[in-house]
Amino acid sequence: MNPTEDLSNRIKEAIKHPKNLGELDEADAVGTVGSEDCGDMLRMWVKFKEVNGKRVIDKATFQTFGCETAIAVASVATELISGKTVEEALTMNGADLSAPLGPLPPLKIHCAQLVEEALRSALAPDAHAPEQKNVAPTLLQRLQAPAQESKKIVLGPSNE
Amino acid sequence: MAELLQEYPGAQRALFRAYHIGGCASCGFSPSETLAAVCARNNNLPFEEVVGTILAGHEADQKMQISPKEIAERLQAGEQLPLIDVRSREEWDAVHIEGATFFTQDLMQEIISEWPKDREFVIMCHLGMRSLDAASFFAGHGFQHVRSMRGGIDAWSSEVDPDLPRYHLE
Repeated sequence: MNPTEDLSNRIKEAIKHPKNLGELDEADAVGTVGSEDCGDMLRMWVKFKEVNGKRVIDKATFQTFGCETAIAVASVATELISGKTVEEALTMNGADLSAPLGPLPPLKIHCAQLVEEALRSALAPDAHAPEQKNVAPTLLQRLQAPAQESKKIVLGPSNE
Repeated sequence: MAELLQEYPGAQRALFRAYHIGGCASCGFSPSETLAAVCARNNNLPFEEVVGTILAGHEADQKMQISPKEIAERLQAGEQLPLIDVRSREEWDAVHIEGATFFTQDLMQEIISEWPKDREFVIMCHLGMRSLDAASFFAGHGFQHVRSMRGGIDAWSSEVDPDLPRYHLE
């Protein structure tokens, strides 16, 4: 099996059975990247516990409407950070968080960065200055636009 | 990029289908960026090749489209061809094609994570433009046979089922 096929299979497997998907009740921290309004975002919930006097991550969950690679990376990342302290988790970058999937192709690296940013936003909200990127309307936003439009529907031939 | 998109409205679809650029916030680009800069920060994509892809985008858009008549004939012949409606809930409630499915976040998640990449399905909207963006979004995620209904439900009303009321948005 070539590396690309292998990666694609691992991503497929991760999104078929995503771990830690969905909102976490009574979470201690929440981090979001992207814009909630347009649904194009990744959010992570983190809950802590005390182990031997150390505060470690008990469980982390995520929700995303991003691409499949983001789902796969978030799934493996939430498993990886479980049991780590905030300091330990913050040392991990996108490549570390996606390591179980193997090296990502260059065009998919941003998906892992998205997960890293969401995690940083949850674990170190003060250090994380939310940087609003000036992004042109994306295909995903245009796809989800009708939900935000409140135009009147008038029966009769189209005027557009 | 803003000027490029004005001149070539299909450029974003072409870029996402071929290079996974411009689909969501994480792979988006800024309106003020140049195409060369976008290429450079995406693993130094060859500029000439990207320009060629954009120029060929119109043809690729055409290939992706399917006429309402062809869909109707194939559905009538008993073919299982999922028809996914990406219009707003209000538009769907006002009028929709029988057998079509209303598009939701859950459905999107299901398609991306569970549907086979070679499955053929059709995206439809009101006039056929938004569905072309949506189909390109799925094509950029590896779906090889995603189609967009040419002219949307408006064309379906005039070409297939005149009993289905046409409408416009104000």
